[in-house]
Amino acid sequence: MKENINYKNIYYPPGGILIWIIILLELLTFGIALIAMVVSSKSNPEVYHSSRLMLNSTYGVINTLFLLTGGFFMAEAVRFIKKNNLTKASFYTAIAILSGISFLILKGVEYYEKIEHGIGLEYNSFFTFYWLLTGFHVVHVMVGVIILAFMYKGLKSVKSPISPESFETGAHFWHMVDLIWLLLFPLLYLIF
Amino acid sequence: MKHMKLTNKHTIIILYFLTLLSGLLSNYSPYIFYATIAILIFAGIKFLLVAFQFMEMKKAHPFWKNILVIYISLFILTVGLILYK
Repeated sequence: MKENINYKNIYYPPGGILIWIIILLELLTFGIALIAMVVSSKSNPEVYHSSRLMLNSTYGVINTLFLLTGGFFMAEAVRFIKKNNLTKASFYTAIAILSGISFLILKGVEYYEKIEHGIGLEYNSFFTFYWLLTGFHVVHVMVGVIILAFMYKGLKSVKSPISPESFETGAHFWHMVDLIWLLLFPLLYLIF
Repeated sequence: MKHMKLTNKHTIIILYFLTLLSGLLSNYSPYIFYATIAILIFAGIKFLLVAFQFMEMKKAHPFWKNILVIYISLFILTVGLILYK
């Protein structure tokens, strides 16, 4: 495909204006919730510190690497679909799906361990934020994996193939999941 | 000298490095405030690398670039100021 969209036009950002409205709204929502969490930490710094240490930061780091890897392969898939190389684009999309599934599996393990130790939503204010923020994020990851699976199917389909523009928009949803996690990860796992 | 272009491969290496470095710094973050600030700044750099390189926002209209830079700067500044107070 020849790149014929003028991204320099304010109405045509890469991925399309509609996905960017969604991305900005999501970033605003998660951003406000994270700032509320930081404000809450000021009244209970010891609780936040001890609670943060109850989280496995290695899981957090590995999950970040999974999402970043998925993001990298989606960026490469977009690059190759623009060159009309559908074989590479579908291969890279499959790897991105695998990294999303790996994230969900590790998150599931982490959740299981917390529930096993009786650490639920009402354990303390840190864990209320932890469950709500990571829970909503996990829902986004699940939706992202489903979108990528449809995109993969669209790449393989001869009857109704996916357009490069739609593919790029779907890839942007996946990157949004990445962007949100890049804000959640340091605040939940690293700084308190 | 030829100007080096940032590719997706360069970006992912920087992202991995900053993630691992943030993980290591977290051992010091509650005790050394600069470690917390460094972790926040690394998060901001990672955010912008994903947005500008992977999402190709480097090609976008300045409005979109500015909105992302302003968002992440305000976020880091707000979190940093609340923690410092």
